[in-house]
Amino acid sequence: MVVFIIRRTLMMIPVLLGATILCFALVDLSNDPVQDRVFEIEQSTGEPVPQSTIDALESSWYYDRSVPERYWIWLTGLGDTNGDIGLLQGKWGPSIEGSAMDISYEVSTRFWITLRLVLFATLASIGIAILAGVVSAVKQYSRTDYTLTFVGFLFLAMPVFWLGSLFKEGAVQINKVLGSTVFQTYGSGTTGFRGNGWEVFVDSLPFLIVPTLVLMLGGYAAISRYQRASMLEVMNSDYVRLARAKGVRNGTVMRRHALRTALIPVATFAPLALSGAMGGAMVTERIFGWRGLGVYSLDAINAGDTFAVMAYVLISGVVVLVGVLISDILYGVLDPRIRYE
Amino acid sequence: MSNISVSTSNGDSRAVGAKGDTVLSVKDLAVSFPTDDGLVHAVRGVSYELRRGQSLGIVGESGSGKSVTSMAIMGLLPKTAQITGSAKLEGDELLGLGDAELSRIRGKKISMIFQDPLTSLNPVYTVGFQLGEAIRTHYGDLSKQEVRTRCIDLLDSVGIPNPQQRVDAYPHELSGGMRQRVVIAIAMANNPDVIIADEPTTALDVTVQAQVLEALEKAREEVNAALILITHDLGVIAGHTDEVLVMYAGRPVEHGSVDEIFYEPRMPYTLGLIGSLPRMDESRDQRLTPIHGTPPSMLNLPVGCPFRPRCPMHQDICAEVEPGLLPINGSGHVAACHFSDQLEGKAPDEVFAPVATDLSVEAEVEAVEAEAAALHEEEDK
Repeated sequence: MVVFIIRRTLMMIPVLLGATILCFALVDLSNDPVQDRVFEIEQSTGEPVPQSTIDALESSWYYDRSVPERYWIWLTGLGDTNGDIGLLQGKWGPSIEGSAMDISYEVSTRFWITLRLVLFATLASIGIAILAGVVSAVKQYSRTDYTLTFVGFLFLAMPVFWLGSLFKEGAVQINKVLGSTVFQTYGSGTTGFRGNGWEVFVDSLPFLIVPTLVLMLGGYAAISRYQRASMLEVMNSDYVRLARAKGVRNGTVMRRHALRTALIPVATFAPLALSGAMGGAMVTERIFGWRGLGVYSLDAINAGDTFAVMAYVLISGVVVLVGVLISDILYGVLDPRIRYE
Repeated sequence: MSNISVSTSNGDSRAVGAKGDTVLSVKDLAVSFPTDDGLVHAVRGVSYELRRGQSLGIVGESGSGKSVTSMAIMGLLPKTAQITGSAKLEGDELLGLGDAELSRIRGKKISMIFQDPLTSLNPVYTVGFQLGEAIRTHYGDLSKQEVRTRCIDLLDSVGIPNPQQRVDAYPHELSGGMRQRVVIAIAMANNPDVIIADEPTTALDVTVQAQVLEALEKAREEVNAALILITHDLGVIAGHTDEVLVMYAGRPVEHGSVDEIFYEPRMPYTLGLIGSLPRMDESRDQRLTPIHGTPPSMLNLPVGCPFRPRCPMHQDICAEVEPGLLPINGSGHVAACHFSDQLEGKAPDEVFAPVATDLSVEAEVEAVEAEAAALHEEEDK
């Protein structure tokens, strides 16, 4: 198992490299920050920009070389640099917002904010989806089943931005009725709050509830349908019938034989919800005014801030690959027929 | 295996009939399933009595209600099934019991073996766990070591080599025959009074079939249980049962001892079944006599005998009155046919016409060959 995990982790490297090459090409070719900046300066001063300024901009952002060269220098930091670039040396590259905007600092602080949201939402959606799927399957064609099915498809059909706005408005109205702020709908925590992990968590809880709910419901629907189908299949299987014929009580059969086996396909599928939640976080963070990674990447994309976008791509790529790794490991743990040599 | 001749010594060596008290008595059992098209009457009144140590074979084609009858007794049918009648195990009614009461009986007093050994075991648990589960469910106070020892004994008694190692194997590490033996071991784990084997050998190849049946026979003798063997393999029935119940369209149509059923069938359907089997003791030239047609739909059964459309002997009364099980000679042999006395001493080919004679087949083959030759000639030109 350890060997398997190590091998899978090593295999993540070429996947990540491929992803960065594709993204780099896409981001880099789709905008030209130097031209944008020159245009801005021209607009504000009303005079043509001297060639020396353009050269300075180009060299500080490494735009004085070709795209492959720029990618190479972004990755390795080898060659003629200003000492602020090179992923392998732990440097993320210069942001076009200037030296005040340090990508490394932004990314590292915002990552935990986003991870908090994404992780809670994913775990909650998997948990609730499994529960709802099992209840739906056991009580097939009952009113409960139909209700859960309807709710599932409702949230599956609703885009995150619409769901987010709706929930935010709902939370505001509830707050008004109750006359207190049960739900915080703007920001991710009390600004400047410092303390140990637990205190931070308690402080951020009212901020966390509504956005997590929004992100959760988006991922919940698909997984719960999946769980329902796989549970139904297993419930009709011969070994569930044999377990009942052995005299095992119905509830125990459902838990020990049906659910345990029905979890296998879901466990391999559910961790991929992480990637869905990473995407959803972009929108959710914007709506609820979180200063997370999603919003940062959105701004970076709008500004054409290549190196900032690349930082986001790399981090979300790692998160997704970790999700895939977890699903592979779960598969091996849950299903004895799978062996990792 | 498919040798249907019943040797009398076989019958003598095993105690036939009243060896012990009645363990299972089924009376007027009927099962219907509501569907979008209406009620499907899967079982329409089955009655039989099973005594300790006795072995009852239930035969019939697919959809004749063999399995549904047994599943109804075990309480394994879906909730939508409408079950009437009575099934008493040692005098206690089984039908209508709740999950808690049924769970105490299932696996302990009455156990069941299912058709497909490849899917009967849960792929994620070891053989030992699933076998042990059957014991632990009913004897919760046994220690882990005791359960394990008993599991190994059970696996050994059904003929699994190296039971000490196999007990920790997962089902996918065993062959089909091995898995079916594990299922048999599960069925005999708590020394049940009744073992129901629902086509235990259908999914296995012939050599493995023999071994599995042997294991089943051994299991039955070891725990002195009554056996219900559901199958459509008449060869298996001949070799392993004392009494036979022939089912057609959800009802028993003939019931008697093995010898009576095989040598003096008094229902055209039974006769047809026997006529459609190859026999080792007759010359190869004889053609088999098939029963034409298909079983009727259980959704809208016409009045009268359900076998009438396929029966070569049918007369007007058959379309009007469905015959009950009428006694033949007072020995307990019963058959549901208006004209059962006419079947006395008849061979299958006297009642059922063979589809084709050897001559007509030969003529057909020659015609096809001639045609092919003509085509060739044309192409050559």
